[in-house]
Amino acid sequence: MRPLGLFWLVVLVLPPIVALILLAPFGQRMVTLIGIYALMGLGYQLIFGHLGALNLAQGALFGVGAYATALLAPALGWLVLPVAMIAAAGLAGLAGGPLLRLQSHYFALATLAVASIVNLVAVHAETLTGGANGLAGFTRGLPRGPLLLTVVWGCLIVLVLACATLLRGPLGEQARLLRQAPLLAATLGIDGGRWRLAAFVVAGALAGLAGGFSAAMSGVVSPEATGFSIMVLCLTSVVLGGTRHPMGAVLGAALAVGLPELLRDFQGAWLLAYAVATLAVVLWAPDGLAGLVDRARGARAAEPPPPAWPATLAPKAGPQRLRVEQVVKRFGGVEALAGVSFTVARGEIVGLIGPNGSGKTTLLNVISGLERADEGTIALDDRPVGRMPAHAVARAGVGRTFQARMLEGETRRDELARALSPKPAFLLLDEPAAGATDRERADLVETLRGFSAAGLGLLVVDHDIELLSRLSDRLVCLDRGRVLAVGRPAEVRADPRVRASFLGLDEAA
Amino acid sequence: MAYALVALGFVLALNAVGAVNFAHGDLVVLGGAVAVAGGAWLGLPGMVLLPLVAAALALAGVVAARVAITPLAARPPEATFVATIALAAIIEQGLTVEMGTAPRTAPALAGSGSFVLAGVALGRQPIAIIALGSALVLATWFLLERTQTGRRMRAVSADRHMARAVGIPVGRYVLLSLALAGALAGVAGLLLGHQFLVAPTQGAGYMLKAYIAVALGGWGSVPGALLGALGIGVFETFVSAAFGDAWASAALYLSVLVVLAVRPQGLFGEPAGRRA
Repeated sequence: MRPLGLFWLVVLVLPPIVALILLAPFGQRMVTLIGIYALMGLGYQLIFGHLGALNLAQGALFGVGAYATALLAPALGWLVLPVAMIAAAGLAGLAGGPLLRLQSHYFALATLAVASIVNLVAVHAETLTGGANGLAGFTRGLPRGPLLLTVVWGCLIVLVLACATLLRGPLGEQARLLRQAPLLAATLGIDGGRWRLAAFVVAGALAGLAGGFSAAMSGVVSPEATGFSIMVLCLTSVVLGGTRHPMGAVLGAALAVGLPELLRDFQGAWLLAYAVATLAVVLWAPDGLAGLVDRARGARAAEPPPPAWPATLAPKAGPQRLRVEQVVKRFGGVEALAGVSFTVARGEIVGLIGPNGSGKTTLLNVISGLERADEGTIALDDRPVGRMPAHAVARAGVGRTFQARMLEGETRRDELARALSPKPAFLLLDEPAAGATDRERADLVETLRGFSAAGLGLLVVDHDIELLSRLSDRLVCLDRGRVLAVGRPAEVRADPRVRASFLGLDEAA
Repeated sequence: MAYALVALGFVLALNAVGAVNFAHGDLVVLGGAVAVAGGAWLGLPGMVLLPLVAAALALAGVVAARVAITPLAARPPEATFVATIALAAIIEQGLTVEMGTAPRTAPALAGSGSFVLAGVALGRQPIAIIALGSALVLATWFLLERTQTGRRMRAVSADRHMARAVGIPVGRYVLLSLALAGALAGVAGLLLGHQFLVAPTQGAGYMLKAYIAVALGGWGSVPGALLGALGIGVFETFVSAAFGDAWASAALYLSVLVVLAVRPQGLFGEPAGRRA
């Protein structure tokens, strides 16, 4: 009950009960259909709402489930429903592998292409799918009528509760990070690719199940089941209901089924009204109808809690030394890093200074795996990590923070707490003191000293050479992609080349 | 060639506002519908209708972007996706309510029938499409590459803040790009409307073709989009002549998937930093 709240739980459980007791067969069919669309939408919420990936194949996967059911029901009976799920999930898994690394608009196009191919097969592979006429006469052995209603809503209730429960926990937080700040998520060790694939496959499974149920209900399957209109229906209903609200899919489905009934006298106009409503919701109520209802009843969506300060800082085991050797990174013809080498040991604070454009942030990006070095080695002890994706580098023990806040409304301390939560052995800090007051700077020095005392190795980038000199055991001075000097702060600051590079700044000291 | 106009408009709008307009295909259909209406009610010939349709759709293009794209500039890209998909549905359903689902014919541009040139029978309409399409593509190219206005339009799409910083009235040029995109869609609708009739449900198909052309040609690249569109046209014609329409479409989608899987940046590369 807790993940949904009593109000929404009642809204979720009431329709099937009312339908079974009070409604005539026609009304029961409507409620069944709501349940079916809600199942498809629930899956879609995972991939579209929680991960923000515009998947346009969900409708086609619904169709795959429907066709699988129509083809195999005579042989398998009701067991065909899990098979429909597996068929759709399998296709999603197959297509998802190569497609999920695509950028947003390419991903939308690719899933649209997959959907179009499924649709073409449905229309033209007549021996298998019956062509434009579709398939019929397969429903013996499948649940029908009130039984089907019970099964559909039983599945739906269980799955809505399961999703709500799971997404309230760490999984939901990971999804939020992936959606809002994918780079940050990667440096926290969250494997975005695997996450998206899992969401895509689960979404496909739910679409397949919904498709199977819809085949059982209507008794015919035609190419329309794979068409773009189902996809648009799914997309718009999820948006209308609320893309991330646990009840968004159910409300959206209720509208998608109910509105045409209400506006039946206007014929085609209901689709028009539906599209207008969707546009209005996108523009003015991004949380959807469920969000509006929540606001009306005074229930506010829970803000994600700020990350808690970890009790222990660094793992005792883990790598002891971060080695950067002869690292080269080119952007086109520009050598941003031209053979950089240094090491950071556990418990040590290394400050990285250098004028603008000297390659400091690029270096942090290369170490944390967000960019790949063209040459050279990055290793934790003897384990090379230079070829690993960012999330793997993070899991190997390297955390980092970014120059600009990655999430709205977070304080510097929240950011540090989050970076510490995977218990990294090394932490890379990109201008942690930018915009801070003197008082905050003093606090920051204390905090970071605490980190190194607890055994973390720190690499700190900042422009404030005073702050870094006070804080660091050693300084590395970078200029135009090369290491100008390495050593104790006093030594580095006395170096004539560094003085030349920092002319003015250093003389004031 | 008409695909080239669709893709050209699509990429201009894309560059102007930095977002995919899923309703672009429906603007094409809307252009066809305006042509049908003009032809049926006013009895105007195609040549007279052409500028009228272009003007009407230029306006529609601007309105569409103002409703569904620019208000969402600060939100994640999927908000624009959904908004323009909803807009596409609005146009499609609005047209269905107005004119029904039965396909209609738009007036021909230069009369129907064919003439014989050097022993080969040539349809008047296809020739007119090719001639007008080429002329418009050339004119657009000239505008973008050879005039001060075009230079400014390109500057605005390349880096809007920089363009503003050097004193270009950004809003006006975004508007101009959108109007041009709409006008091209309208002309394409008129041209396609005679050859392939006008039905409200065609929008998704046109949009998909333009989308594919732009994705294959390199996101945001104008010549890439044109090459992509021409490539699709040629590909479809030959494959469907050899194996039938269904195989042509299937082969097209499959090759899109293969291209995306192998070269996620498009066949001709993507201008750096451009992400919808």
